[in-house]
Amino acid sequence: MFLRKVWAFVVRDFLEDLSYPLSFFWRVGSILFHLVTFYFVGRLVGAAVLPQLTPYGGQYFPFAMVGLALASFQGVALMSVSRTVLYGMYTGTLEAMLVTPTSLPTIIFSSVLYQFLAALLEILIYLGFSFWLFGVPLGQADPWAAAVMLALTLLSHLPLGILSAAFVLIFKQGDPVTLLLGRLSALLGGVYFPLQVLPSWLQSAAQFIPFTHALEGLRQAVLSGRGLAQLSTQVVILSAFAVVLLPLSLAAFAFAVRQAKRLGTLSQY
Amino acid sequence: MPPAVAVSRLSKYFPQIELRYLLTLRRPPGVWALQEVEFELQAGELLSIVGPNGSGKTTLLKLIATLLLPTRGRILVDGQDALKSPLAARRRLGFITSNEASFYGRLSGWQNLAFFAQLQNLDPRTALPPVAKTLGLEPYLHRRFFSYSTGIKRRFDLARGLLHQPELLLMDEPTTNLDPISALEVRQLLAQIQGQGKTILMVTHRLEEVQKMGGRVALMQDGRFQELRPGAGESMEDLYCRAVAEGGHVPA
Repeated sequence: MFLRKVWAFVVRDFLEDLSYPLSFFWRVGSILFHLVTFYFVGRLVGAAVLPQLTPYGGQYFPFAMVGLALASFQGVALMSVSRTVLYGMYTGTLEAMLVTPTSLPTIIFSSVLYQFLAALLEILIYLGFSFWLFGVPLGQADPWAAAVMLALTLLSHLPLGILSAAFVLIFKQGDPVTLLLGRLSALLGGVYFPLQVLPSWLQSAAQFIPFTHALEGLRQAVLSGRGLAQLSTQVVILSAFAVVLLPLSLAAFAFAVRQAKRLGTLSQY
Repeated sequence: MPPAVAVSRLSKYFPQIELRYLLTLRRPPGVWALQEVEFELQAGELLSIVGPNGSGKTTLLKLIATLLLPTRGRILVDGQDALKSPLAARRRLGFITSNEASFYGRLSGWQNLAFFAQLQNLDPRTALPPVAKTLGLEPYLHRRFFSYSTGIKRRFDLARGLLHQPELLLMDEPTTNLDPISALEVRQLLAQIQGQGKTILMVTHRLEEVQKMGGRVALMQDGRFQELRPGAGESMEDLYCRAVAEGGHVPA
């Protein structure tokens, strides 16, 4: 029964996506433009000696490509839940779903599943374009380690998205979780440059952001072919983030829903 | 057999949440949207609730639909405590919101109803056809929802509320924004649904509609609930105006 409900959400979102056929091509096009930009940045710095990139194969473009792909995945993890809640509150679809015998956690998790599947597809498109169009060697990648790193990225970032949705349920606008974490991850997570170029105090601060470990793990798995055994540090840290944050975020969300029902703001935007 | 819905001493207070009250820890002011509301509705009955804007009518529906938490009081839907077992209560009720935006405009009527049917644990292939037939929706099922007229959208709203064959239907202004013919069609459908033994709790501003549909009538004013019983030869409009002028305290 639960799986049928989850499937209903996936089909709903797929059909909605399908009703905007150009949107998919624009998304693919935007990935391509992104990659082309960084390909030329890579050519610019290609001749320079970049010792910080040695652990990732020594080339800037593959390094940035994995960063860009995971940053887009992280964006979905951080924003999908709050966007779903906001859209539901704004249109009234949230109330329409809440009067069915379906629990709110089921509604929320199922509502974001399609977005994660789409984000996963985008990562594959990033990798595919890089391999076929820009000649990035991916033969050495460890796909299982990469898959585990993606799953852990999701599990460690989704709670932050749920916290953000809890904030949106009560305050509607000005969500600090997404804003702060999105910006911090771009600066400290190492999307565009290796962490070693940052001052040491910022490098220390970066260790408190799950994205830093997720990106490091994924780069090692994709660009250096490291297996799970060699990525145990990242696996342990990301799991710890997930174990601590997941129950905390669910409790915060349940509290926010209760408050919204008490204050009558479930359908206010 | 338990009543289709039983509401006892139901009150709802909406505190006014503002940063200044949070920062100073002062008790925020607020509004009593419902005060000690009490009534029972037996299976097959129709209760129309009328009253000025902001009198608490929609709040009452949302409380019964478990979309709001009461400040105090009790709601039983077909014997199920809506506070303690909200999922069980929701299985027994259908909420017609009259909000067109609560459908997915880019999907077809069928796709919308199929989605909501699955949230009701139903197989759309068996649940949709009879409801679509009853409401005359068959010719419209495969067009995009945004392309429908308001009248057809309202019928889809009814269909969504009826998919799981609930015993209790909660309706928030089901004929608002409808032209006279569409409103008449909706009223005929409601009469047909009531004829099947369903209980209907309807909020409306249309007094002529209340008169035409019959059933019990209640006035909500300033969060208070009072059942109205027109005197001999008294029109619904006269009764309503008299009741509102007297602050909802009308001698029976």
